[in-house]
Parts: sequence; structure tokens; C-alpha cells
Amino acid sequence: MMNLKETLYKVVNSKTVQGILTANIFAFLVIVIQSSLMPKDPGILVFSEFVIIPMLMGIITAWFWKDTGIRGKQITGHSVVNCLIAISMSFFFLGEGFICLLIVSPLIFSFIIAGAFIGRAMFKKRNQKLNISIVSLLLGIFIVDSLSNHYHENMVSDEILIHASPAEVWQHVVAFDPISQKENYWLFKIGMPSPMATTVSEHKLGANRKCIFSNGYIFDEKIVRFDINKNLIFDIVDQPKDPEIMGHIDIKRGEFILKDNGNGTTTLIGNSWYNLHVFPTWYYDLWAESITRNVHFRVMEHIKLLSER
Amino acid sequence: MFSFVVKRAGFLKDIPLVAIIFDSLMRFWMLVTKPELLDWIDELEEDVTRMPETTIGIHKYGGTQFNYKGREFAHVHSNGLLDILLNKQLKQSLMLEGKIKDHHVYKNSGWVSFHLHNKQDVSYACYLLNIAYDRTKQK
Repeated sequence: MMNLKETLYKVVNSKTVQGILTANIFAFLVIVIQSSLMPKDPGILVFSEFVIIPMLMGIITAWFWKDTGIRGKQITGHSVVNCLIAISMSFFFLGEGFICLLIVSPLIFSFIIAGAFIGRAMFKKRNQKLNISIVSLLLGIFIVDSLSNHYHENMVSDEILIHASPAEVWQHVVAFDPISQKENYWLFKIGMPSPMATTVSEHKLGANRKCIFSNGYIFDEKIVRFDINKNLIFDIVDQPKDPEIMGHIDIKRGEFILKDNGNGTTTLIGNSWYNLHVFPTWYYDLWAESITRNVHFRVMEHIKLLSER
Repeated sequence: MFSFVVKRAGFLKDIPLVAIIFDSLMRFWMLVTKPELLDWIDELEEDVTRMPETTIGIHKYGGTQFNYKGREFAHVHSNGLLDILLNKQLKQSLMLEGKIKDHHVYKNSGWVSFHLHNKQDVSYACYLLNIAYDRTKQK
């Protein structure tokens, strides 16, 4: 019993643990204060939450570790522990999903480690003015970013050549039977929902279309353009809010364009428009484009298979 | 991987923090795949801190920078690539030993690059750091 108490006392008094705990409490409090004082659209996560807060977390740990003689390898290792705790807290308190956290983790890891090394360099200089300036600048960026409007829309376009006439392809574009091919995109393989089938209430303008995903999620769609053998456009009218990436991206509209190549083949073009609710877009758009592209190809390869059968 | 990024995305290095963030990711990757490399980098740091009037900081293009009276004389990236400032004469004579190469970016300068591949490389790296330190001190 005494040993346990002593160990606990040692752990709590260790600068390593104090640094990690303080950094995580700081991050948690900042996010709580930010969401209560600066309400933004639900689901929007700003650049500062993935860049500035992790960097400040790293700097905080460096302040606790500055006089401990800690080596670079230990700083890296302890920073990884710090990241894992921050990611676990996001899972439990922010309700983020596993895949979402997997996607965000490179940002968190790199900025927390960078923050720890920047902090080490800062505190070695023992220049209070410099330290205060850097921390104030980061907090300033955080406040401005939190108060700014965030909106990002993007379109992803892909095409595929099908050895069948537009009339044949059209039959499988409006609605199609369940996809039986195995997943080949790594995110689908580890559990991200992938498109499985599409049903339609009627083959005409204004009809309701449903895109069914592998986990049972259904995207409700409405056909807004029905140009037989040429063009199908549908607006997404309702989509599931999932803790995984789907909570952070809104698919707005989808389109299929069928181009008759005049030689018995058809070029099928798939377009999707989406709004991204997570920032920075230079990072998350890479993922969103990759996921959208793989959704396109899973559907379009299936249409190709059915049309060429 | 490092050479590919430097070649293809090297133009991004002047954007503040980009190179430092990339280096942090490399450091994380090394911790997972080759943790002993981080020990070797720590040994270099300790060797340099024993030299009078040296300081250690963050290199603007990522990694740990070694300074004498605030002037840089070497830096090491987190993949174990040590860049050392010599002069062209020293560079030529040391290159005859066959262990160092032209700097991975600035080929026609006094800078040289030496890659830490194993534990034995640490002592040669310390030898190079000593030469660079002495040269900077004498200037």
C-alpha cells in the first residue's frame, strides 16, 4: 500500500508527467472555452485546433522538462505519449471516430513534437520577452482563426472508359445492384463505409434516389437533371452524421456525364461537390479528394462491369 | 524519401515551420523504425555541448543546429543526415577519405553531408564536428 502511494507520489511529482498532464488540461480547457465563447457552426473544426493547440502543448511540455536534462530521444518519446493522450481525449470527450483520429494523427504528432523542440530551443535562450512574444503570437492566431468564417467547397471529377453504348451504361447509372467486388482502398478495408448499392423510386426527374453504404448508412438524393443516356444530376438532401469523417464533410451534389465516343464505347464522368468542415484545407482536402475519388471509382468500376457484361 | 521530398517539395522549405514540421514527422518515424538513430543524434548534441561557447537550436530547415557564439557550424536532420560547414580545401581533403559527400543541396559550397548509418559513424561525425568547430572558432 505504501509502495503504491510512493509510486503515485513520484509519478505525480515527475516533471515529465506534470508536463503532459498540464498540456492536455490546457488543450481541453481551451477547446471548452472556445466552443462556449466563440460558437461556430457545429462540426467545424478550425486550423488552430490541429496546429496551434498541439504546438502550444509541445511548448508547455518543454517548459516543464527544461531543467531535467532530458535528451532528444526522450523528448520525442514523451511527446508521442502526449499525442496519444490527446488523441484518446478526443475519442472520449469530443466523440471523434477511429478513422477520423487516424487521419488527424499525423498533424497532431508533428505539431506536438515540433512544439516540444521549439520550446526546448526557446527556453534554452532564457529570453522571457521572446517566449512571451511567441506564445502571444500563437494565442493571437488562435483567437483570430476561431473568430473567422470558415467555408470550403470543392469538386472532384473522375472518368472511366466503358466498352458499351451510352444506352447500356445509362441503365446502370440511375440505379445499380449491390457491388460484390472486394474493397481495394485501404480506408474502406479498415472500416470506412463504402458505397454498396443505389436504388431509385422512379426513372424520371424529381425521383428519389438512395445511395446505400456498407455500414447501412443511406444518403437520400433527389434527381434534379434527368437527360436520358447523357446526364444525371442529383442533390443530396439528407446524409448521416457519423463520428467518422462523414460528420466533417457534407456531400452536396453528384453528377454522371455519359459521352458517346462514336465507336461503341462511352466515357463515364463522375463529379461530386462537397463542403469541408475541417481545416486546414491543404491537409484535409488531400484526404477528402482521395476518399471521394475512391467512392467514384468503386461505383464507376461497378457500372463498367455491369455494362460490359 | 528525404531526398525525394527535398527534390520535389524543396521549394516549400522557405514557408515558416514547414521544414520543421517535416523534420518532426521524420523524428517520429525514426523513433518507430530506428530508435537508435535518435540516440546517436543525442550523442552528437552532447559532444557539441561539451565544446566551449556552443549552443544548440532548431535549424530553419528542420533538425538540430550547432552554433559557436551564435554562428552555425553544423546541423543534423532527424534522419541522421549531418551537414557540416567546412571550406573547399578542407572539404576536398576530407572527401578523399570517401566518407563524406557534397552537401545534399548546395553541392558547390564548403558544406558537406555525412549520413549516420551505424554506431561507428558517430565517432567520425564527432571528428567532423570538431574540425568544423575549430575552423569556426579560428575565423
